[in-house]
Amino acid sequence: MLKIQEVKTLVETGKAKKIQAIVQEALDAGCPAQEILNAMIDSMGVVGDKFSAGEIFVPEMLIAAKSMAKGVEILKPVMSGDTSSSLGTCIIGTVAGDLHDIGKNLVSMMIESAGFDLVDLGVDVPAQRFVDAVNENKNVVLVACSGLLTTTMPALKEAVQTIKAALPEMKVIVGGAPVTPDYAAEIGADGYAPDAGSAGVKAKELVN
Amino acid sequence: MVDIKKIQAERTKLFDDVNDSIIPKRVPVNIFLGIEPTAQYAGIDLAEAQWNPGMLEDAGDKICQTVFSDSIPFMPYMRSPALYTPLKAQSFVMGSNGFMQHPEVMGMEADEYDYLIEKPYDCLIEKVIPRHYKAVNSQEPFNTMLSFAKGLLGKNDSLMAGAGIMMKLVAKYGYRQMGLNGGGAEAPFDFIADQLRGFTGISMDIRRCPEKLQDACEAVYPIVKKMGTPLIVDDYSSVMYPLHMPTFMREKDFAKYWWPSFLKLCEDHASAGIRTSVFCEDNWMRYLDYLQDLPSNTQLTFEYGDPKIIKEKLGNKHIISGLYPISYLKNKSKQECIDLAKEYIDILAPGGKYIFALDKVPLVLDDFNMENLCAVTETVRDYGVYSNPGEQVGTVFKKEDYQAQSCRSIDSKYYQSFEQRQLENPKASGTELQKLQQLEEQLFAFVANLLM
Ligand code: B12
Repeated sequence: MLKIQEVKTLVETGKAKKIQAIVQEALDAGCPAQEILNAMIDSMGVVGDKFSAGEIFVPEMLIAAKSMAKGVEILKPVMSGDTSSSLGTCIIGTVAGDLHDIGKNLVSMMIESAGFDLVDLGVDVPAQRFVDAVNENKNVVLVACSGLLTTTMPALKEAVQTIKAALPEMKVIVGGAPVTPDYAAEIGADGYAPDAGSAGVKAKELVN
Repeated sequence: MVDIKKIQAERTKLFDDVNDSIIPKRVPVNIFLGIEPTAQYAGIDLAEAQWNPGMLEDAGDKICQTVFSDSIPFMPYMRSPALYTPLKAQSFVMGSNGFMQHPEVMGMEADEYDYLIEKPYDCLIEKVIPRHYKAVNSQEPFNTMLSFAKGLLGKNDSLMAGAGIMMKLVAKYGYRQMGLNGGGAEAPFDFIADQLRGFTGISMDIRRCPEKLQDACEAVYPIVKKMGTPLIVDDYSSVMYPLHMPTFMREKDFAKYWWPSFLKLCEDHASAGIRTSVFCEDNWMRYLDYLQDLPSNTQLTFEYGDPKIIKEKLGNKHIISGLYPISYLKNKSKQECIDLAKEYIDILAPGGKYIFALDKVPLVLDDFNMENLCAVTETVRDYGVYSNPGEQVGTVFKKEDYQAQSCRSIDSKYYQSFEQRQLENPKASGTELQKLQQLEEQLFAFVANLLM
């Protein structure tokens, strides 16, 4: 489908202004909303891979994410109620004492486009707040914690351990510049990803 | 008796030699800890010390006794609550544990670019500062007036206290001589990113309105230039810039939007004899060729990167510093730390133009192991000795090699130039007007400092 190809290009090149009209045209032409969404998810995957490979940088990633969000706005009313395709809910937040959220927001976007429903708790999130959020929301299958400062690595550990103590079965993924795979394992997280592109892939892997 | 004055002269000469493209006696060591790890090391309450820098004197002294460095190893530079509290700062807020937190504040909306470009200083004062400082509020002129004055007085007070401690310690231990010949500022693009648009905002702007961003860099240029200009210009004056955004950008965008105004700024200062010092945050390996174009003997402090390639490409023209990973000091054995220090010296010291420093400033005591840090700096002192001191090496910095650049003047109703004041006060003498102009400059520096 030509329109779908166009939607993909608009996501990859981050044309947020144009995308809504084209998504609408695709719907009008009879493309199923799910198919359009899948196409956008694929595109974000491409964007994520390029980001991981260092071919594109934060600005490109941000405008792609923005463009996808604009497109999803058009699809939402058409698709509402259709939760069949969701992989479950993911709770995400930056740990206590840490105010960095750019990386976390990109990770959110990739996890969302991997097929999760997302609840974003924002920054400076105390450990217990993650647990509360799991209990307050439906069908939570994954908690993602971000930490960007060496000084908040203890808070990351506390978050993971508090979640694991209260909800032993819950899957937890962690990330952020100072986090290493070894550290993630040491503090008891189930998964780690170095960047937003691989975070989406890893999140899926963890719940499957 | 040890002759402290002689030690101080020797240490100062190590740095001067490096700046003069001369092989020093040994590799100079430039290590410093801020007030957080210092307070922790001395076991004093950080929140209390934030308010009362005097408490830090003994703590700083303890660091001086513990860690070897040729420049003073304790920097009481701080984001003083005496400044930020009365002004109700939004972007610097003290946490309960005494750490100054730095939340992101968007100082300027995307649709305000035109105003910034037209009247940059007015825009900073009217739009940006009130968003960063809630006590500056046009609805509350009288409170604003008083809060501003409190902030100014509070800042000067804590600055004096900090400087007093430093001067004492520098004299007591004979550290490298310090003066008022250093300045600090941001690259025009980074200034807009950090203070006005935020990291996300600017990242979108690069794609959405790059031409405006380019014009905005030109508009803030005279402001950041003045911000950086040291109070005293002598043979070793320099301006220090932490470089933020480049590694988050595509090279094409960097080359077009970030680099030109910064290069121009450095050459502009260089033409007045002011040197450049940069902290290349993150990994700059893909930008080394650009750094090559900066004025000779720019001090390049790197966070990450390959020391060999950096030295090969840049070591003849520039001064290399940084790179020693602080994570090593935390995770490795003492011997491993020492071995790495020797390895770095073997790579970076030959041909001079090398100052030993860590890849980043430790935020807290837990970022490193003090014993390892001490072992490393002592190793540099003892191992980094040259066999050919006094030899001339590489390119030399000469202000005649650079040309002053034309740029806009700071044309604002909030800033009075010497000429304007002269017109308004025909009876005032030249010296009086000069004095008043100095006060105007101090006020400008204070305003600029609110946005750093
Ligand atoms: C932008 C920035 C800020 C902005 C944040 C704005 C915001 N809204 O987030 C502001 C100015 C507010 C800020 C403040 C501070 N910062 Co800051 N900041 C940065 C900077 C330049 C970029 C961070 C960033 O956004 N990167 C871009 C994103 C895309 O990358 P990322 O965050 O790494 O995320 C990716 C991966 O890590 C991963 N990931 C991230 N989270 C997660 C989560 C999961 C689950 C997974 C799987 C993956 C994952 O995927 C992301 C996308 O690929 C870094 C420098 C750097 N090189 O990282 C410093 C940096 C992180 N900051 C630093 C410091 C020191 C501070 C301050 C303490 C400064 C101060 N003295 O006040 C304050 C602290 C405030 C606080 N309490 O948090 C230091 C930290 C050093 C250290 N020892 O840890 C750094 C490294 C700069 C430096 N070189 O010194 N900062």
